Amino acid sequence: MKKGSHTRAANREQNRTFALFTIPGFLLYCAFFITPVLMGIYYSLTDWDGITRNYNFIGVENYGKIFSNKQFLGSLLFTFQYTFFLIVFTIVLGVALALLLNRHIKGLSFFRAMYFFPAVLSGLTVGLIFKQLFYHVVPVIGQALHIEALSQNPLADPVLAMWSILFVALWQGLPIPMLLFLAGLQSIPTDLYEAAALDGASAWQRFRTITVPFLMPVLSVVLVLTLKSGLMVFDYIMSMTEGGPGTATQSVAYMIYIHGFTQNKYAQSIAEAIVIGIIIALISAVQIYFTNRKKAV
Amino acid sequence: MVGAKRQSNIITYIILILGLLLIVIPMYITLVTAFKSTEQSSVSYFTLPNPIYLDSFKEILSSERYYYAFGNTVYVTAFVLLGNLIIMPPMSYAMARKMPTSRAYRYMYYFLLLGIFIPFQVKMMPLVKLLSMLDMLHPTGMSILCISSSTCESVFLLVGYMSAIPKDMEEAAYIDGASTFLTYRTIVFPLLKPMLATLLIRQGLWMWNDFMLPLVTLNRSWKYWTLTLFQYNFQTDYAVDYSMTFSTFVMSMLPILIFYCFMQKHIIGGLTTGAVKS
Repeated sequence: MKKGSHTRAANREQNRTFALFTIPGFLLYCAFFITPVLMGIYYSLTDWDGITRNYNFIGVENYGKIFSNKQFLGSLLFTFQYTFFLIVFTIVLGVALALLLNRHIKGLSFFRAMYFFPAVLSGLTVGLIFKQLFYHVVPVIGQALHIEALSQNPLADPVLAMWSILFVALWQGLPIPMLLFLAGLQSIPTDLYEAAALDGASAWQRFRTITVPFLMPVLSVVLVLTLKSGLMVFDYIMSMTEGGPGTATQSVAYMIYIHGFTQNKYAQSIAEAIVIGIIIALISAVQIYFTNRKKAV
Repeated sequence: MVGAKRQSNIITYIILILGLLLIVIPMYITLVTAFKSTEQSSVSYFTLPNPIYLDSFKEILSSERYYYAFGNTVYVTAFVLLGNLIIMPPMSYAMARKMPTSRAYRYMYYFLLLGIFIPFQVKMMPLVKLLSMLDMLHPTGMSILCISSSTCESVFLLVGYMSAIPKDMEEAAYIDGASTFLTYRTIVFPLLKPMLATLLIRQGLWMWNDFMLPLVTLNRSWKYWTLTLFQYNFQTDYAVDYSMTFSTFVMSMLPILIFYCFMQKHIIGGLTTGAVKS
């Protein structure tokens, strides 16, 4: 009997402490995360410019306006294009580099340390450095090698600008996927390869039937990470092109920023942000659903 | 067979070294241009500085703005890491242990996870309004905001890690009469250290390198600038002064470079394990 009341008191004490542990973080989250999201949803239904006192409630008009707005559709197209190529190159080059690093060569830790370094830098610094290089150094190289396309600043060319930004994004963004793939490769038991080789499987067959299945979990992680960073690209755009030339490299995140902070389209920019937020959330949810199902099987 | 292996190894090295050059050359140009006068650079970007030109570094190191930017960056990074260290582990401990039995904690956990799906842009503009209403558009205000933004990721990673730790040791401590807080401090917290290291490295780098949040909250007075804002605002002032431009890059990368040299293994581990979990 005595023991029971002791446990109950201890339980009460534990519940109290656990509540105290949880409340501060939870309140902070509600105040500075959930509140602005709810505020944003509310403002997106008004015609507020962010400055004046008065605004009208206009329902979903902002959302309708977005999809008939050429600028929004244009930046959506650029962002999807950019993200698509970013994902393709990240996966292809990431797997290729991981395969090279997995060949039990000498100096692996040296290569890994050097290859990883760009990942710890600020995206803004990297963008600003490459802006200078594209402006001053690339034309020198292009002229020396007689490459027509590179004999002037590629960021000033509407087509080359996207590829230049992609190059920089890969320069900085490849190391983490590469090491994730490398870890995936190292988890494959080597006797699987030996057995397959004994059975007469070709290198391509071994890659397709052993390597690829083992890399699938990592692949889905890389996919989501790259997808998010691609759809929300901002630092590189801000530091290298500011959306130019014209609006050729205006990413969605950059457009939201200039609409909200420099063009007083406050409510409209929030509606744009919510639309792109829903797209990202849907893609992540679908991805998580499929990964979980695969694990269950 | 041995010959073929050696040949493919040589090809491997050639490709790896080409990749290495791609990483090193931009860094090399950044470094040498910073130590050359603008006239030297306009002759060639590739040669070593001769003579070494130090005026840009002297100018940056005598500029009050650099010290403010550096100080602010250190301040916000330390503030966020400390806040995380104090708030997140106990919160995750409580959630991990209560979730199996308590529905309230389970819902709270799902509510927190919701944040992972919401990109920053969705809350960016109302957030700036909110902070300005609360008079929080300064480094301290931004740091508090960052702590709340990191809740989702921290709790997600720590709860996942906690659930894998057996409860035996905690229960032994409870039977011996230790309070919940004492158990947390002496048993649970030390067990969480590996995951905390991962988390703090990720968040530290994120805070140090972040640009968008400082841009929208702190770009009103140079006294509030962080290093990224310092670089962004300086590039317009020194557009034609190559030496000055590249020196600001070097001075901004230097702290990270030093940190990377000493903590390389931990940083690589932290950034890759965290990525797999989140």
